[in-house]
Amino acid sequence: MSNEESRKTGVHRWSYREGTMVTAAILLLGFALQAASGGIVLRIAGFPWNMLAGLAFLGLLILVFVIRPKHSIVKGLGSVKAALPAILGFTFLVLLMGFVKQDVEPKNTLVKLFGLTHLVKTWPFILINLYLMILLGIITIKRLTPFNFKNAGFFLNHFGLFLVLFSTTLGSSDMQRLTMNCYENQTESHAVDASGKMIEMPFSIKLVNFSIDEFRPKVTIVDNKSGQIVLNKGKAQLEMMDRDSFTIASYHIKVEQFLESSGKSEDFYIKKNESGSAPSAKVTVNNPTDKTEISGWIFSGSYSKPPEMLQLNESFSLAMLPPEPQKFSSELNIQTKTGKNRSTVIEVNMPYSIEGWTIYQTNYNTEMGRWSNLSVLELVRDPWLPLVYMGIFLMMAGAAFLFITGKPKNGGIEHVA
Amino acid sequence: MWLDFPIYASAAFVCWLAASGLFLSSGKKMLNQLAAGFSFAGIAFLLVFITILWTHIHRPPMRTLGETRLWYAIFLSGIGLVSYLRWKYKWLVSYSLGLAMVFLIINLQHPETYDKTLMPALQSPWFIPHVIVYIFAYAMLGASSLVALRNLFFAPTEKTIKGPIQMADNLVYLGFSFLTLGLLFGALWAKDAWGHYWTWDPKETWAFITWMFYLVYIHYRFRHANEHKKAMAVLAVSFAVLLICWFGVNYLPSAENSVHVYSE
Ligand code: HEM
Repeated sequence: MSNEESRKTGVHRWSYREGTMVTAAILLLGFALQAASGGIVLRIAGFPWNMLAGLAFLGLLILVFVIRPKHSIVKGLGSVKAALPAILGFTFLVLLMGFVKQDVEPKNTLVKLFGLTHLVKTWPFILINLYLMILLGIITIKRLTPFNFKNAGFFLNHFGLFLVLFSTTLGSSDMQRLTMNCYENQTESHAVDASGKMIEMPFSIKLVNFSIDEFRPKVTIVDNKSGQIVLNKGKAQLEMMDRDSFTIASYHIKVEQFLESSGKSEDFYIKKNESGSAPSAKVTVNNPTDKTEISGWIFSGSYSKPPEMLQLNESFSLAMLPPEPQKFSSELNIQTKTGKNRSTVIEVNMPYSIEGWTIYQTNYNTEMGRWSNLSVLELVRDPWLPLVYMGIFLMMAGAAFLFITGKPKNGGIEHVA
Repeated sequence: MWLDFPIYASAAFVCWLAASGLFLSSGKKMLNQLAAGFSFAGIAFLLVFITILWTHIHRPPMRTLGETRLWYAIFLSGIGLVSYLRWKYKWLVSYSLGLAMVFLIINLQHPETYDKTLMPALQSPWFIPHVIVYIFAYAMLGASSLVALRNLFFAPTEKTIKGPIQMADNLVYLGFSFLTLGLLFGALWAKDAWGHYWTWDPKETWAFITWMFYLVYIHYRFRHANEHKKAMAVLAVSFAVLLICWFGVNYLPSAENSVHVYSE
């Protein structure tokens, strides 16, 4: 359509100029608001206001389509001419996040003023999110009316992203993430939030048992003078004690005896299973260069027992490092205020959900390691999660569509209104 | 157990080499079928090896780097073969077989030297799909950018660019769908491991930026089907971003303490 025509019919088609101007205006407005508010950390209102605002937003979107579906602004917002600058504008903000370290104290006033260290919680970020939601909402409704199965992939991708943005933006303030410190055989019903505020939970948790499975310890070579691990090409030479014999830095090591959990008795080690016990091994070390053979005990040490190394010669010793955790888990007994009683075991990657809260295993007393009697739990409540997941699953299905159907022929615009 | 690995790996390697050779050299249907057969035979060798390994060590062999590389090799070749059967792209299957062979070579050169420990957060059923989907996406998108650079610098005429640009499009669509899956798998995993699906960790941020750039390409191409040069330029830039995400992010000041920087 030529300019001449569009003026006559009163329809003005959007070009990239309009699209870019709107996005730029939104970003400028956002940063101006952020600066004017003195670089505050923005929080969306919590329940029920966020839900009401969300419903109003959806209502408005639909209303616009009922009364003025063909208005030039609606058409413009539903076009690639608006979409591309918007996507680039959002990319610009995310790029800033990629270069400026997030969630730290701002180093200079400019960074602080524009909120660059916590961009997710600033005006420009929230406004551009809102704008993307408007665009996605408009194109979704546009493609749904009339419904055509050929648009299924389009719908899944765009509505999926819409849902994800919608639910994460609105839900951000309803999400609670708390930390609870549980000690063995004690019952705890309070947790603290990020600011240190104590919060009473609708349940109490008793830590029945905390346990760690460890990998076999690794051995390495240590410099006698500096006490440091000897590096070879910048890398520590580590060997795991899961075989009977191995070679490390040209020393041949034969494991005569390995004790998973042990303690010292006079000048050797025996099996022990009490707090502070740790792995030890009796080894014979063969040095092929000077043909010497040494044997003795090495012990990894623990929070209460000193490690023991085996001196190989004047310069070097063989040392056993503290074993690394393979898995740590907490056996919990949960008593809710509503009278439910549940026993469960949680570990990293295996949380447990109860009464809208999900309980994660996060930490323990790392200095005490296997003998820690403290288990640190994270308690998360996120009532908007089902919506987020729904969006994610729609997008997954959309990705499958992209994979199966591939790029539409002729650019694919023939089944587009 | 890994002592037998060179035998199986060499067998698979030879099969795949033969398959790629046949795919790239011939136009005959018979020979292509033979090549597909060879690709399958190579995969079968590795599957047999991994089954024996699995029963031998009494745990899923998905923990060490060497083991994950084995899976990369199997998945890459498998996806390559399936997409060949589906779309008949011979370059695609040869390319993924080539990458799979690289993984085999790395494994042959570093027998048993890998770290056997894996931090608990990584011990998740999401680990393998997340990583494999990403590797595949990066491989496809990398290939699309090679095509783009070729189109940019060896400037075929408007007439002859049709074929190459379609190839770039197909690669982007394949790669982008996997990138999206990788991103979303990562989100679901993060929820299980850390209690939140998206924390704007530097690696996540850069993966997201990469995703956005390819999103720009897709939308640009959709409405500007004839602006070939500009589209190819977008694609070339996207690849630079992808490389930053893959290699560079560890060196950015914003990336200290990233949960994704595991090494040492
Ligand atoms: C960031 C927000 C997004 C906006 C504002 C947006 C906007 C648009 C617009 C306006 C079109 C053209 C529609 C038309 O002209 O009729 C389009 C097409 C398309 N978009 Fe998006 N989009 C977004 C995100 C996505 C995502 C996340 C994906 C995929 C995962 C995607 C994949 C596509 C595809 C494949 C097309 C081609 C159309 C078709 O297949 O029918 N878009 N998008």
